[in-house]
Amino acid sequence: MRKSKSLINNLDWPLFLGFISLIVFGLITIYSVAFNEEHPNIFSFSEKYGKQIMWIGIALFLGVMVFLIDSDIYKKFAFPIYLGTLSLLVIVLFMPPINGARAWLGVGSMGIQPAEFAKISTALLLSKYVSSLNMRELSSKNVLLALLILLIPMILILLQPDAGTFVVFTAFFFVLYREGVTFDPFLLKFVNLIPKVRFKQTWLGSHFIPILFVFVFLSIITLLFGEKNIPLIPGFKLYGSVGIITTLFIMGAVCSFFVQRFGLKRAKSKAQFIIILCFILGSAVSLTVEKSFGSLAQHQKDRIELFLGLKEDPNGKDYNRNRAMAAVGSGGLLGKGYKNASVSSVKTNHVPESETDFIFCPFAEEWGFIGSFFLVVIYIFIIVRILVVAERQRSQFNRIYAYSVGMFFFYHFAVNLGMNIGFAPVIGIPLPFFSYGGSSMLSFSIMVFILLKLDSQRRHVLR
Amino acid sequence: MNVENRRYVIIAFIITVGVMYIFRLFYMQVIDDSWSNRAHQISEKRREITPPRAVIFDRNETKIVANKTYFNLMVIEDKMGPDFDTLSFAKLIGWSKKEIHERFAEIVKGEGIYYNRHNDTRVSNYQRIRPYPFLKELTKEEMARIAPHLDGFPGFFEEKTSMRYYPYPNGANILGYLSEVNAREVKEDNFYKPSYNIGRSGIERFYEKELRGLKGVHYVVRSALNNDVKKYENGVFDTVAQQAPSIQLGLDIKLQAYGEKLMQNKKGCIVAIEPNSGEILSMVSAPTFDPNLLVGRKNVSEYYPKLLKNEDKPLYPRPTQAEYPPGSIFKLVQSLVGLQEGVLDANTGFACNKSLVGCHNHPAPSSIQRAVQYSCNPYFYYAVKRIIQQGKEGSIFKDAALGLDLWEKYMHSFGFGEKLKSDLTGLRAGIIPNTAFYDRWYGKHRWAFSTIRSIAIGQGEVKMTPLHMANLAAIMANRGWYYDPHFAKKIGDIPVKSFKKHQTMVEAKHFEPVISGMWRVVNEDAGTAGRARIEDIEVCGKTGTVQNPHGKDHSVFIAFAPRENPTIAIAVIVENAGFGGTWAAPIASLMIEKYLLKDCKSPEKETRVLEAKLLEP
Repeated sequence: MRKSKSLINNLDWPLFLGFISLIVFGLITIYSVAFNEEHPNIFSFSEKYGKQIMWIGIALFLGVMVFLIDSDIYKKFAFPIYLGTLSLLVIVLFMPPINGARAWLGVGSMGIQPAEFAKISTALLLSKYVSSLNMRELSSKNVLLALLILLIPMILILLQPDAGTFVVFTAFFFVLYREGVTFDPFLLKFVNLIPKVRFKQTWLGSHFIPILFVFVFLSIITLLFGEKNIPLIPGFKLYGSVGIITTLFIMGAVCSFFVQRFGLKRAKSKAQFIIILCFILGSAVSLTVEKSFGSLAQHQKDRIELFLGLKEDPNGKDYNRNRAMAAVGSGGLLGKGYKNASVSSVKTNHVPESETDFIFCPFAEEWGFIGSFFLVVIYIFIIVRILVVAERQRSQFNRIYAYSVGMFFFYHFAVNLGMNIGFAPVIGIPLPFFSYGGSSMLSFSIMVFILLKLDSQRRHVLR
Repeated sequence: MNVENRRYVIIAFIITVGVMYIFRLFYMQVIDDSWSNRAHQISEKRREITPPRAVIFDRNETKIVANKTYFNLMVIEDKMGPDFDTLSFAKLIGWSKKEIHERFAEIVKGEGIYYNRHNDTRVSNYQRIRPYPFLKELTKEEMARIAPHLDGFPGFFEEKTSMRYYPYPNGANILGYLSEVNAREVKEDNFYKPSYNIGRSGIERFYEKELRGLKGVHYVVRSALNNDVKKYENGVFDTVAQQAPSIQLGLDIKLQAYGEKLMQNKKGCIVAIEPNSGEILSMVSAPTFDPNLLVGRKNVSEYYPKLLKNEDKPLYPRPTQAEYPPGSIFKLVQSLVGLQEGVLDANTGFACNKSLVGCHNHPAPSSIQRAVQYSCNPYFYYAVKRIIQQGKEGSIFKDAALGLDLWEKYMHSFGFGEKLKSDLTGLRAGIIPNTAFYDRWYGKHRWAFSTIRSIAIGQGEVKMTPLHMANLAAIMANRGWYYDPHFAKKIGDIPVKSFKKHQTMVEAKHFEPVISGMWRVVNEDAGTAGRARIEDIEVCGKTGTVQNPHGKDHSVFIAFAPRENPTIAIAVIVENAGFGGTWAAPIASLMIEKYLLKDCKSPEKETRVLEAKLLEP
């Protein structure tokens, strides 16, 4: 009795309710999209909504199981679990391919995707390994080992091939960044070769991950807006890098203003310096990318443009994105109303996979901007909440694991929504707890329940 | 190294992405409507539904133009499947394999073509997922033979269409025909799309807008495979196709049919008008053809060239476009003008001086009545000379010019030399020669009455259409006025009021002596049209024998009946049939009999006419 009471007291209810709301909204949307007049009951198991309810049931059952298991075993058995999923990843490569990828293990529709579970086991092992490191004296061997833990499943997944999950694995770089496991040891080796130089750290090395992401992000944005007018200031037309630099300048000015107004006195000058530096670097990147893209050969340009969806090919390679964006854009402010999606319902089938990877389409079409706004807010809330939960852990193992979960969520959210609004290439990864599908539902449930379990026991022992 | 603050970097990054996504969503969903337009384009179909054309009734509420259901055999290439058996399909529709392949090629090239208004080009927009007609305009019977086997050929299905059907094989020249719109018509009028039909001639053309009805528009949500899923917004924007209200014509189809029968093996026209309304009761153009021959693409392409090449020109609408010299019937008009001008009175007599102009043997024309009755040429030579040369000017040349100007005004008041207002297209004006005409011909003041005397007896330069002649009969019947001769009586329940009453320049009182003459023409033995006599009906008429440089004279007769309160005015022209009283008069009398008595009281007369073969070899 005492134990269960303490569980209720220690459960992170905001997070739990956030997940429940996602599951409910997801189910409502699946019921609308895949609605079949012949089986109108939401519990009809021949339809996707019935099956989704079944998966939700199984997920909750697994959640209870996870809560019953002592949380110590995750750390203890992290390595065997990791090896287990690795062997599954190897076995799956010998299975017959479904839709061109050897990703499924099992019979018929009841299969599982080992890659989904590899995310959890990799997170557990990485947490165990990194938490055992001495951060003050991080060697390049440590970094190499940590990277190896990531790279082995990543390569196996790429062999399937499953580009979506592969991309999601790069979420670990954020985790490593947070923990201070960076490429700095490599860089220092080179830097300290210079006579009389003895750096303990370099700015570039320790912030390599976010710099890389900003670089990639800015490059894509520059290319995306290469020839398009950026509707920033009404009446003025801003193209390409000029537009980006103007945007950066405005953003920088706003940040600078906030720092000046609300920032801590001692941090002010440093923050202002960083802002100016970011602006200069960002502008340089944007200009460089534009210039170097201009010097590429035409077929290279074509490939990049197609990948970014810049080339208008609405009935060819760009079909999915074009239909998805039309569906989202047609939602308007208030949406077309429940069960009124005309572009993305399964019946019209203009948007393929509208109950799985493209489930945001019918949701945005039916609930409009109001709905999509709330969905983005819920996801951002959950992700930030996971990071807050992560930061309150006493054990580094728990924190690293929680960060991994948070960043997975962020990746799935950002890429999935991004491909619906033209911000990301079309990569098939589901929207967590929202999309139809057993594998994603079960793996995210297990992942999250382990997190909730670890969090509920955070005061028990100092791990 | 302090890594604690890195949490803020990550959280800031996540929140930035979230904010960017929200802005992007706001832009896509609320501000920019291009995605919304794209969605409409992708997911909606605008389907236009054309109603069947309005039906047409005759004056006795008999349906004379109706619609019949036909079928198109449609095909959607995408649904045909890989194992389409060309050979057995060819067997089913009775084609060869080659023809089927050719038809497919033709569909891909031709049926998908649409006209792009924006850049003025014609583009083939053939899409595998869209339905196109493979076979067009199959009858119910033809379709019934194919339909049961269509299950074996996925992608093929039937579609109903409606086409014209004429229950009576008569009135082709009046009703007109339909054919496919051309590119210019599609461009000019939004109503039409390629493959639509449009009225090409006759009533179908003149009342095109009244007959075509209102198109219905249905908005449908379509699937990626181009199937209809449901009505868009539950159909609140849909409109129903509305068939236009029926049109009633003044035409009497039984009379028309009878007239066409009488005119068999003859060339010429019959035009009958109800005098007090101007409604055309019958308008026969002989030889004629069955209007059903020109229904549908297949028929039009088969029969139109044949009809066009036929030497007897059945497509030529003689009643409105053939211009004949009026001949002796013109004497009626001359008499009226003379009386109105006061240069004659009812009892004016002239000698039949055959040295002036040829004439036949008859008693002396001692009055207008007699002159009309005997159709005395010299009489009208004198009479018209008095009209043209009234002595107002010293020089006969100037006098004649003055007189002709006045005479021309009279003629136009009768509608001669003008296109009559009607609901038929392509009307001809005929010719009333005027001073300008003769000045050009002979030189100014170089001509006098004697130069132009042939107009006195309706020969020479004067020309009019059979419609003008029938209209003259109507003017005689009305004693001085006429309505624009027309067909439409009612559109829906609304009487047609757009046709006007015209007053001639001759007062009613001057008509009586002339009409007496017309009565004598028919009812006295010395009259020229004894063959037009009908027991119990007082027919008034006038014969004409029109000299024709190309062959035998045309036989002309105009008449109205009964004498008091006349209900029918008629003109008959039989080409190359000789004297007016021989053929035109009996035909007119049979028509009058048919119309007034609904029956034929003189079968011998009828048999004589029916058996006559007056076509020149």
